[in-house]
Amino acid sequence: MPSSGRHRLTRRERAERRAAIAFVTPAVVTLAALTAAPALWVFWLSLRERLPVFGIDRFVGGAHYAFFATDPRFWSALRVTGTFTLVSVAIELVLGVAVALALRGQRIGRRTALALLLLAWALPGVVTARVFEWLYQPVAGLVNVVLGAQLNWLGDPSLALPALIAADVWRTMPFVALFCYARLLTIPPAVYEAASVDGAGAVATLRFVTLPMLAPVLLVTMLFRTLDALRAFDIMYVLTGGGPAGMTETLTVYAYRSLFQTLRLGFGSALGVVVFALVMLVAAAYLGVLRRQDRAA
Amino acid sequence: MRPIAAALAALLLLAGCSERASTDAPPTIVFKHARMFGDDPVPRLVAAFQAKHPGVRVATEALGSGADEQHQFFVINLEGAGGRGRGPGFDVMMLDVIWVPEFARAGWLLDLTAALAPGELDAHFPAAADAARWNGRVWALPWNFNAGVLYYRADLLASHDLPVPRTDEALARAVATVRDTHPKLDGYVWQGKQYEGLTCNLLEALWAHDTSLLGPDGAVLPDGARAEAGFARLRGWIERGISPAWVSAADEELTRRAFGDGRALFLRNWFYAMDLFEAEDSAVRGRVGIAPLPRARDGVAAPGATGGSLLGISRATRHPAAAIAFARYLASEEAQRVLAGGSVLPTRRALYHDPALLAKRPHLPRFHDIALAARPRPVTPAYLMLSTGVQPEASAALVGVKTPARAVADARRQLGYALRGLR
Repeated sequence: MPSSGRHRLTRRERAERRAAIAFVTPAVVTLAALTAAPALWVFWLSLRERLPVFGIDRFVGGAHYAFFATDPRFWSALRVTGTFTLVSVAIELVLGVAVALALRGQRIGRRTALALLLLAWALPGVVTARVFEWLYQPVAGLVNVVLGAQLNWLGDPSLALPALIAADVWRTMPFVALFCYARLLTIPPAVYEAASVDGAGAVATLRFVTLPMLAPVLLVTMLFRTLDALRAFDIMYVLTGGGPAGMTETLTVYAYRSLFQTLRLGFGSALGVVVFALVMLVAAAYLGVLRRQDRAA
Repeated sequence: MRPIAAALAALLLLAGCSERASTDAPPTIVFKHARMFGDDPVPRLVAAFQAKHPGVRVATEALGSGADEQHQFFVINLEGAGGRGRGPGFDVMMLDVIWVPEFARAGWLLDLTAALAPGELDAHFPAAADAARWNGRVWALPWNFNAGVLYYRADLLASHDLPVPRTDEALARAVATVRDTHPKLDGYVWQGKQYEGLTCNLLEALWAHDTSLLGPDGAVLPDGARAEAGFARLRGWIERGISPAWVSAADEELTRRAFGDGRALFLRNWFYAMDLFEAEDSAVRGRVGIAPLPRARDGVAAPGATGGSLLGISRATRHPAAAIAFARYLASEEAQRVLAGGSVLPTRRALYHDPALLAKRPHLPRFHDIALAARPRPVTPAYLMLSTGVQPEASAALVGVKTPARAVADARRQLGYALRGLR
């Protein structure tokens, strides 16, 4: 971009600038009204004790946040949210890339495979959760029947979160796979021919050709998936209700229970603000990486 | 924001005017209710009411079956309608027992005290009538009823010469004895998933140890030692192998199916399960008995928690007389008899000895005696706070992640902060 520092604007440039502002204003105002204003409103609420049922509405400052510092349920929810996000996104990326590569190599039935992948992803979260409720059923559920085991998938504190992660991977891995597959199709065959001429084997091709070319797409899918996972709600809400022992209660489930189930609007908003801050931090980190990549490219 | 609000207000005014213009038409009251199982009795009841009250029309609107979703629907509509001089869009609502004090405290319900005859609630179970009262006033009419009860496999107890257990120890012995010959059979199944059902099971454990979740002075888990014993009771059943480990993820349906398929000896569930066990295609038909829940201590009763629903009237209704007439009709013996002919249990005691109903549901008198001793969950506007606050702690204690002492301490802390906000 040319620096417009001390350069005096011509009349035409000024007119253009005015027009630009006029064109941008509606979008900025709409965005501000739809996102910034509610976000500020939630932050304001989080500094209050507001309980409509009890007719209570008073300023409490940072009391809710101070309570979080000593609230084991909050720390547990934060830990669950973090673990769920890290593990599920990591597995989804690895599996997604593998499935995309397999799809590219597949000769027959590729359309069917694509349709099946889409189906898993297109199912509403609550439906997926119900399906897994049956699969994980302790006595006659398919998972236990196949394993020949009597595992208490959703009721054992050490198994419940892995079981939910598996369900989430099943549902969202296709999203990653489809993005990667689309990118793979656009890599020109000439690149691979050049690699093979240079004597690159399968591993070297994957390591030095395919993965670097996938990287930008992977990073964007990872951003989407991470932000989704940080706000994970439906699977745990339906399958475990956050249990056992709060081992699958994410921050959003905790916020939902506070806001909608018990109508503690101030306290629930404070939880919402924490989720919001977390999401913004992660998004900013990703965007930083993306920008650096753009500059490098 | 201002102009938008003004435009909305204008729209609302217009809508209000058009509605006010049509007051000559017979009043139409809207009844919001949960979808009923099986053969829906509501249309029949509405038709019967309209035949008796030709001046009144009733429109019914069913809500989804999830209690959380219904609660959310009512709260959003009732709170949103507050202070704007316009109703929430319905007049009579079917309320879960645990919502009545909350809705009354919020000012969403019409005070029915003056509209009722003295002693009008006496014909209902005391626990059902208690759930209708809060702060010395009546806010709703009892409509249908449920209570926690022990189901047992009468055939298996008889073949092993075992009496119906009255205490925890007798229940443990029965499980051990029967499992000697039926090793694959589960013992005592109940609801341990982290949800409202767990709160009911926990309350019953606390009551069996002669304490409660909320003390009369508003203290959470007032008696620490007994509360720990209550939490430990749930853990003990799993630890001693009396209950399978999977109860920690079990809700009503999961446990009902296990027992209904003949895979468990004892079950804690609600009254409604009996009709399903006695259905034509049931694997346990004719082999199921009902008893009060087992006692944990000598001389301490072990009442079941009550469930069911009541009928409340929106304070913003424009037809209070018609709405009250309709709610009273639904709660009447005539209407409850129709309900009791299906799969619903009435709140009126007389119906449990009604010969016509007994022919169809012979177990009603047995339920009557158990229901008489049943106890409502804490009647407080902060009930949902209490319940959702204690659930993770109860769950942690029963899967053994926390000791009962730690779970009690953490529950007190969590709920203490929530309840302090109410002062």
